[in-house]
Amino acid sequence: MSASVPLLKLDRATIRFGGLTAVSSLDLEIGHNEMVGLIGPNGAGKTTAFNLITGVYQPTEGTITLEGRPTAGLRPHQLAKSGIARTFQNIRLFASLSVFDNVRVATQLHRPHGVSNALWRGRAFHESEAAVEKEVIALLSIFKLEGFRDELAVSLPYGAQRRLEIVRALATRPRLLLLDEPAAGMNPTEKEELMHLIRFIQERFSISVLLVEHDMTVVMGVCQRIAVLEYGKKIAEGTPEQIQSDHRVIEAYLGDEGADTEDGEEVDNA
Amino acid sequence: MSDPTNPSFRQRPLDSFFQQLVNGLALGSVYALIALGYTMVYGVLRFINFAHADVLMLGAFSAYFLSPAVGLVLPLPGIAGSLVVMLISAAICAGVGILIEIFAYRPLRGRPKLTVLITAIGVSLLIEYACQHRAVFGAATRPFPTLFRERNLDLFGVTISSNDLVVVLVTALLLTGMWFIVHRTRVGIAMRAVSFNPQAAALMGININRVISFTFGLGSALAAVAGILYAMKAPGIEPLMGIHPGLRAFVAAVLGGIGNLPGASLGGLLLGLLETFAGGIPGLSNYRDAIAFSILILILLFKPAGLLGKSSVEKV
Amino acid sequence: MSVRGAKRWLLVGVILAFVLSWFSGRINPYDRGVWIDCGINIILAVSLNLILGHTGQFSLGHAGFMSVGGYTAAKLTLVCAVLVPASLQPLLFAAALLAGGLLAALAGLLVGIPSLRLRGDYLAIVTLGFAEIIRVIMQNTEAVGGASGLSGIPKLATVGWTFALAAITIYTVAGLVNSTYGRGFLAVSDDEVAASAMGVNPVRYKVTAFVVGAFFAGVAGALYAHHKQTIVPTGFDWLKSIDIVVMVILGGMGRTPGVILAAILLTWLPEQLRVFADYRMILYALLIILLMILRPQGLFTFRNARRKGVKAAS
Repeated sequence: MSASVPLLKLDRATIRFGGLTAVSSLDLEIGHNEMVGLIGPNGAGKTTAFNLITGVYQPTEGTITLEGRPTAGLRPHQLAKSGIARTFQNIRLFASLSVFDNVRVATQLHRPHGVSNALWRGRAFHESEAAVEKEVIALLSIFKLEGFRDELAVSLPYGAQRRLEIVRALATRPRLLLLDEPAAGMNPTEKEELMHLIRFIQERFSISVLLVEHDMTVVMGVCQRIAVLEYGKKIAEGTPEQIQSDHRVIEAYLGDEGADTEDGEEVDNA
Repeated sequence: MSDPTNPSFRQRPLDSFFQQLVNGLALGSVYALIALGYTMVYGVLRFINFAHADVLMLGAFSAYFLSPAVGLVLPLPGIAGSLVVMLISAAICAGVGILIEIFAYRPLRGRPKLTVLITAIGVSLLIEYACQHRAVFGAATRPFPTLFRERNLDLFGVTISSNDLVVVLVTALLLTGMWFIVHRTRVGIAMRAVSFNPQAAALMGININRVISFTFGLGSALAAVAGILYAMKAPGIEPLMGIHPGLRAFVAAVLGGIGNLPGASLGGLLLGLLETFAGGIPGLSNYRDAIAFSILILILLFKPAGLLGKSSVEKV
Repeated sequence: MSVRGAKRWLLVGVILAFVLSWFSGRINPYDRGVWIDCGINIILAVSLNLILGHTGQFSLGHAGFMSVGGYTAAKLTLVCAVLVPASLQPLLFAAALLAGGLLAALAGLLVGIPSLRLRGDYLAIVTLGFAEIIRVIMQNTEAVGGASGLSGIPKLATVGWTFALAAITIYTVAGLVNSTYGRGFLAVSDDEVAASAMGVNPVRYKVTAFVVGAFFAGVAGALYAHHKQTIVPTGFDWLKSIDIVVMVILGGMGRTPGVILAAILLTWLPEQLRVFADYRMILYALLIILLMILRPQGLFTFRNARRKGVKAAS
């Protein structure tokens, strides 16, 4: 692909739920190897934008293209295959699987294995399983999780679970990684480590990252470009410095800093 | 279509249509009463109370055993006597419903749905097998006592059984009462609050356990009355008598939109009418259960929110 | 079951089945019958475990798949028995088993498709409904004997056949699940949204689970028909489905060894309780309730319990 075609492009992407327009005519571009932040007050539509990009929702209007190809109609697992991986705001690890298996599951989309292979268990099967194991162990050790290999994923400490979610996403070999509030619930030291980690991932795997985050230090610290959402609309976009001095952004955020622990749009299936 | 040798088809076609309509409404009323119980419990606890159909059977048996005793004090068949029988049976079943919830369902609050579902089936089986035991009711069918003397009324040239009218009337009264409780009383508001969001309701100082007990009690009381009304029209009562109306009523609740009270009533009436009119078509009656299940499957697949329910978008 | 040794285990299982078969010639026919019942229930429970335990799809219709397999196979052998010489009977039986399994798998495909749209209780009700519809259809189809069912089915199911097929069932389910591909079943069960975000196609996994599970339920039905020699529609009612679900839960959802033990236990125990025939079913209902309240993770789960409860909707 030529450099002029962005990795991901949202063109007037809009989604309505009944009368509510959750994301309204959103334009956003993410280039190759770029680190973009998406911020906004509670309920601004950030997670919904994530869900549009990952195919959980289909846009009511507008288009989303991945390297110039429209993603309309593609299901989440197909988008994962074409290179979009994500983490979840409220960690969604596979509760009954070990740390190793959580990552292993994510490698299966690059393996041609189906029912017949798993049953026949020929030489190709064993070779492939060995390769998967090597790949998973390598990933786990990069993130210092190899010691937890056989633990249940949900039994890990909170910070390790967040890291594991990122490892699992990386195991799908993405070109674009979407991180949904990775710093939520972290203390300043952990946030510092997280920022290092995100920069490291981006360099090591040379991928693009779209970061939804409430924590300004983290977003300002790692992103080259930031888009600001309010009530589903993009109200500003620019470098961290530009965003910091944008009066509309300041207005949107005034008095909202304290309430950043939970995102209004995120209601777990109660 | 009309067979002159068959006494039930002696009327003119139009008469038989109205007759079927009244039969269907009466049957549908019973289904509606039962469906309310399913739908209310689903509303507050989000699970299907399989044992509801057996509470209905217990209601009919309560009336069976109470009638002779009540008959000593009040004239039976008769309106006052029947009302007393119904009230006591309803109270007994309300107690049974509350006990089932406390002992079987309450320990499972917050557990996986499958666990609760299988428990509900277990409770249903327990009641059925226990009642079939010869030390309890035994498996044989018993004749149900006459609560109201049945008369055939001639309304505008259509012959209507007085029992059908009683069924429709009692149901209409109870439905109105239900509407009043749910919309005009504190406990009704609490029920709706728990249904909407149990955690928030608890934080607002609502005693969730009490609301759930009340819901089970109310639903079971309605089931008892429904059981008595059903038994009045059935050839007799036996421990498995609840299964068929229970299934229809459950389909009715889903058809109307489970968790939705007017929906359950509408669904019940529709199902009663459908069954009565379809029953007149030869060859179809063998497939009645299959038809009920087919309706259920079709609704769940294509309009899972039912006729009156609201669909909800799953959040991610 | 280790990944590398899987095929060796299958071989061991099949050989064991035929050793058992040889032994079974010496024991009395009643006990032999119980052995075969055990084997059939193992097949049913392990195959349901793929759908319910591993993939997390509430299926209450396993008896329906079983009846499709049973009726198909029985009809086939009843029609063909006179045409096939005695020496070729085992071959006919193999064909009947396969046909029963395949038709049940087709039924599984038809039921699996709605599973894509539904979950939880609703799926349970729909699968139960499908199984009941199958039963009503059998009851009203004269070609398969209507309400009185099929009888005089040749007694072709032996201990050897049954346990060899049980070994194949266990191998298939365990082999599928214990692979990188197969971890997808568990991922779908744990969190469908997260699974699809990781490139796991939930549709494919769910339908695969239903088709494979139904296939073996059909095989079990075929064995059952050629063991009891008589089948009636009411033998495959929803209570039969509940029996199989209870085996899976008792053994621990998604735990093959536990489920096998539970299948054996729930076949053997009722035989011992025959003297209490009057109370047997009451005890069974009580067992279900107590099991759900006290040990929902199953009798044979001691550590590393699958934490299904954690994400239960309130």
